[in-house]
Amino acid sequence: MFTKLFKKKEETPKTIELKAHMSGNIVPLEDVPDPVFAEKMMGDGLAIEPTEGKVVAPVKGEIVQVFPTKHAVGIKTSNGVEVLIHIGLETVAMNGEGFKAHVSAGEKVNVGDVLLTFDLDLVKQKAKSIVTPLIITNTEVMINFEKPFCSGKVDASEETILVVTVN
Amino acid sequence: MIEKQYKVIEETGIHARPATVLVQAAGKFDSSIQLEYNEKRVNLKSIMGVMALGIGQGAEIKIIVEGTDEKEALQSIEETLTKEGLAV
Repeated sequence: MFTKLFKKKEETPKTIELKAHMSGNIVPLEDVPDPVFAEKMMGDGLAIEPTEGKVVAPVKGEIVQVFPTKHAVGIKTSNGVEVLIHIGLETVAMNGEGFKAHVSAGEKVNVGDVLLTFDLDLVKQKAKSIVTPLIITNTEVMINFEKPFCSGKVDASEETILVVTVN
Repeated sequence: MIEKQYKVIEETGIHARPATVLVQAAGKFDSSIQLEYNEKRVNLKSIMGVMALGIGQGAEIKIIVEGTDEKEALQSIEETLTKEGLAV
């Protein structure tokens, strides 16, 4: 009986706020020129057109994977929200050139920790677009999804760009 | 339960887009569908799970399907792998 009392589980918040993953301008997912993102095939989210080549952690969580070509990173929060950040469009073809990873799989991160940095000019030159979507890849577990911004300028880790509630 | 082995031919591996396409194909079936690579098994219905494997070109992968519609599911996954030029 007592063990039950003492074993009280650590509370994990049901609603989490995601901060801007980059500094730049907000782009609605629907306007991202790639159907995988625009049609929300991967899940719902928001994109930023960056003014700086730096991606920071939008939430506290664990790094699931930094893709070998370092153009995408996945984070999982303690309550199971899976966040994918994909730098630019068609950047996989750059094969890691101009990208640097600052974290690796399994690492714990806090809001604002630098995850990836990249050569913004090089991506502008070589990729289809620099627009960087942030996607909740398991959108199906969300019961509420709010987007406080649909346009405008944001600063990395300052503004809250998404509020998600999980079941 | 049925399973089949494939070899990844896509130059950039199973990154965001191919993972999405595969997960969408898998999501249409009731069967449990798993992807095995490098002795790790993940749910093929989870984008993050598939991407987390970091599957590159030349990788040997295995698809394991179990359930009432397993035959149709494996066939659909195979069609997707072939059609998208991901694996043979």
